Amino acid sequence: MTLLSIEALEVRYGAVPALRGVSVTVGAGEAVALLGANGAGKSTLMKAVIGLVRPAAGRILFDGRPLEGLRADRRARMGVGYCPEGRRVFAGMTVRENLLVACWGGGRQRAQRIDAMFAMFPALAARQGVLAWQLSGGQQQMLAIGRSLMDAPRLLLLDEPSLGLSPLLTDEVLGRIPAIVAGGTAVLLAEQNAAKALGVCSRGVVLKLGQVAAEGRAADLAASDEVRAAFLGG
Amino acid sequence: MRRWVAHGGVALPLAVAACAYGVFVLPHASDYALRVLTVAGVYALLALGYGFIFGQAGALSLAQGTFMGVGAYVSGILAVRYGVAFDAALPVSVGLPVLLALLVAIPVLRLQTHYFALATLLIGQVVLLVATQWESVTGGANGIGGVPPLSLLGHPIEGRLPQLLLVWALVAAGAVLAWRIVSGRLGDAFALTRLHPVAARAIGIDTGSLRLAAFLLSAGFAGLAGSLYVHAIGVLSPDVLGFPVMITCLTIAVVGSRLRVAGAIAGAVVIIELPEWARFLRDDYLLAFGCILLLVVVALPGGLVETAERLLGWVGSRAVPSVMAGRVPAIFAPADEARMAGTRPAMTEGVGPFIAARAGDADLLTLVGVSRRFGGVLALDDVALTVRSGAVLGLIGPNGSGKTTLLNVVTGIFPADAGRVRLGGRDIAGRAPHAIARLGVARTFQTAALAAELSALDNVAVARGAARLGVGSALRAGRRDRAVVRGEAMALLERMGAGAYAAEAAGTLPPGIARLVEIARALATEPRLLLLDEPAAGLNETEQADLGRRLRGIAEDGVGLLVIEHNMPFLVPLADRMVCLDQGRVIAEGTPAAVQSDPRVIEAYLGTPPP
Amino acid sequence: MAIAQLLVEVLALGAAYALVALGFVLILNATGAVNFAQGDLVMAGGFGAVLLADRLHVSGLVLLPALLAGMAVLGVVVALAAYMPLRRRPPEAVFISTIAVGIILQNVANRLFGAEPVATPPLFGAGRVRFAGVDASVQSVAIIGVAALLIAALYTLFTHTQFGRRLRATAYDRDMAMAIGIPVDRMIAGTFAVAAALAGAAGLLLSNTFFVTPSSGSDYMIKAYIAVVIGGWGSIRGAVAGALLIAAFEVLYPSLPLLVPALLWMPSSDAVFSQTTSTIVLDVAVLLILVVRPQGLFGEAARQRP
Repeated sequence: MTLLSIEALEVRYGAVPALRGVSVTVGAGEAVALLGANGAGKSTLMKAVIGLVRPAAGRILFDGRPLEGLRADRRARMGVGYCPEGRRVFAGMTVRENLLVACWGGGRQRAQRIDAMFAMFPALAARQGVLAWQLSGGQQQMLAIGRSLMDAPRLLLLDEPSLGLSPLLTDEVLGRIPAIVAGGTAVLLAEQNAAKALGVCSRGVVLKLGQVAAEGRAADLAASDEVRAAFLGG
Repeated sequence: MRRWVAHGGVALPLAVAACAYGVFVLPHASDYALRVLTVAGVYALLALGYGFIFGQAGALSLAQGTFMGVGAYVSGILAVRYGVAFDAALPVSVGLPVLLALLVAIPVLRLQTHYFALATLLIGQVVLLVATQWESVTGGANGIGGVPPLSLLGHPIEGRLPQLLLVWALVAAGAVLAWRIVSGRLGDAFALTRLHPVAARAIGIDTGSLRLAAFLLSAGFAGLAGSLYVHAIGVLSPDVLGFPVMITCLTIAVVGSRLRVAGAIAGAVVIIELPEWARFLRDDYLLAFGCILLLVVVALPGGLVETAERLLGWVGSRAVPSVMAGRVPAIFAPADEARMAGTRPAMTEGVGPFIAARAGDADLLTLVGVSRRFGGVLALDDVALTVRSGAVLGLIGPNGSGKTTLLNVVTGIFPADAGRVRLGGRDIAGRAPHAIARLGVARTFQTAALAAELSALDNVAVARGAARLGVGSALRAGRRDRAVVRGEAMALLERMGAGAYAAEAAGTLPPGIARLVEIARALATEPRLLLLDEPAAGLNETEQADLGRRLRGIAEDGVGLLVIEHNMPFLVPLADRMVCLDQGRVIAEGTPAAVQSDPRVIEAYLGTPPP
Repeated sequence: MAIAQLLVEVLALGAAYALVALGFVLILNATGAVNFAQGDLVMAGGFGAVLLADRLHVSGLVLLPALLAGMAVLGVVVALAAYMPLRRRPPEAVFISTIAVGIILQNVANRLFGAEPVATPPLFGAGRVRFAGVDASVQSVAIIGVAALLIAALYTLFTHTQFGRRLRATAYDRDMAMAIGIPVDRMIAGTFAVAAALAGAAGLLLSNTFFVTPSSGSDYMIKAYIAVVIGGWGSIRGAVAGALLIAAFEVLYPSLPLLVPALLWMPSSDAVFSQTTSTIVLDVAVLLILVVRPQGLFGEAARQRP
């Protein structure tokens, strides 16, 4: 069943095209890797889905409903979780508050979810009273992911979670994705680190200059020369 | 004719209307009406000056009324207590506000928007309190009466009409001066500083000095306005130092159009005459005044003059808005400009007219042990590298590996925590960005840092003008100077293969072209070292090859190039040597082929799947 | 005991100023803009209290809830008129639009109430109380109590309710707040409501002693602005501390000759310790602070903000 369907999406910054007719689908319970170099349009695609940039053309359907005209807060409440590039945790709020603020359920549900997050990211549980800006980069990344999961979204948009993290931490962060998917949340993961991303996703889409350059099963893409060429130039 | 109209924006029709008004209405106007119009002229001068700091420099100063008050007090006290006439006192009544501005500018001018606003507000409050307390000199809260009328060369100017004419003659002179300043290179520098301060510093504009110049100019105009005011009114009162004067000035600037010379004058007339026109409102005119201010801010973002320009469609007929209104806009075809300048742009590819060939293969830029930390993250860790004159060094590395940080450290945007940065044997670590730019370091940014509102040509011309900005050249306004600069800028655009886009607004250019324009702008400063951040991103294969050839040509002229790039097919043939960064450290260095096949580099880029 | 008495005065004045400064800093954090009408909202609160007292003939404390509600509505109106249309424009635009709102409020007040100073009703009543040997006016003690209660309520709102957390998240990162489902425009309107209510309360508390006129707002505006700057731009605790500091200075500086009689023998000590000189000294001190410590006296706040 298709959860997210992006059809012929075009986004421009001024007259500058950032996405040129991109179509991507994400099925319920699926993890899809969105690959590509800097400026290929990965972040723009994510922002268009959550509603932080307005497309010039094309359609985005979530659970069969067009998202056009809905503001980001409405989309979030429909079940789209967004974990942005650069983390953007609420700096002066504590770890606990960062998580609580993103949950729209009642007190009991908030308590349950926050326990689930601390179970998934034990490092955060130990620091729940600490202000977010005082966390290390890796912990901030985990907090940002935890925050985007607090309202139990059906789709998680995860933008470059490995940015600025060491390989070990990257593995740790990306390693949570199978568990997130197993919990019933589909994931669209934007990553530069192609091999690592394809290792945790079932399908992949390669963007190049705002267009889809290749797509397919993760295993096929990982072996493909095309992907290698996109990153290392052959 | 059309050219004239376009040059002046709405200034010409306004001037015609003003002349007609002067000839037909003024001789029959009442004394009171003349007095109001004289005060409007005083406020026009005040707002003309405010245009420099609030409009051009974009800083919210709340001390403009204070400078006017100081001018009024100095002139009034000199006249009443020491018998010095208006014109004889001018050097002091203008000079003292400027001196006060200079004194407060040193500590206050570098403050951010809201701090600056508060600081200037407090200075105003202090001056007002001192003036009311220091009774023996200022007359305290009652002020001083019997200030003699204006005078010129020892002759008092009696009568309302002659006084009005003198004030408005000075307004005209002030407007011409302001127009010359903002339409010359200084205006270009102001525009870029306001629109894109980072880019301004990167091409060598000393944004701090520019702000200071604007602040001093605004104080000078305010001093003149204050001096005129006190002699025209005949009474010196502390009201002239009060905050309402400042609010009026701010309102004039916002309602008129803060970036337009004509806006200051139109705004002053509208706001000062408003209570007269709105007499039927009686005491409620101040209420109307507040509502109008709110409406203009909300509904007419550019103010009356800019709105009028839009409505009249004159702006629409220009392809691209010019840097500033009330200045020479980009109405010429680029080729026209070059002809006027009397220079034939050098179109031959690879041979630029502006970059002196520097022979040799000397070490141009040397980094030793450079480290930079952000919070807990070591963004650069003991980095060493060398760029040679006439050679291209490629810098690669995964996202977040510190490449752009390295560029920012070299260009002085933030200092290194440790290590040395040497340019041609000179230590440049810790210098300001504009100072480093002036030593011959030019750069481009990952997302092109162009002023989106300006044409491609204007973007390059600003840098060309700023490269040789001095006090003399600042005032050498006018078309000839601008035409020379624009001819040179055009040649540089041609050299980068972006000549066809000269007239397009930079904000509408495709990213690849914007980057070419940015490189042309970098070349306009005649650099020795050129730092490029992902110049090929967004270009297709043909365009990449073309750019590679052009960059090679620049290197052959003796410029050293440091090129950050992810795109190996582009970088490998271009670079003489390559360096790979990962997590702030140099993990590989050598010939492109060697670096490309280094296992650590492959690991850093492709990674290994998680276990 | 003179010192203890002065301290009560400092606390009373500082607590009232703190309410104004808190409103100022809340709007600053939520929108990045200076609300130049914050002082005029204090004035509006003062006149609002006078109006209510004329109709209802009850003490200030009983008026307070109605006043808070009315001011909150006024705050939403200010948000709709002077902030919402300008939210995509640079912060100076809001600076100027709120100046316009201030002019409008002043002139409406002038039209309705005239320029004569009037006093708001006392919170409980006049008179003085003695406790622990300190003699203080009932009004001062009541001001301290009411302001402390409001500040505590605000603190609880911000740290212990989802609404408060959402307000803060909006202040830290607007787009990100939207992306986790927060309707940010409503949150910002709510911030204006809270800020205006606080200003209104301050108007009720202050205008009993200092009276209210249509032009009395600008002084409070400047004090709130100063409190926020010396407290550290954007810091809530800093704003309270800054307000207390200003109050301490204002109360203690003119009283210095009382505390240190030797000062009376200074030449022209009357002028040196006058209200006016006190303002000048305060302004100059703030200017020095701005120059030496632009991040404020207590401020690391700027660094905490991304």
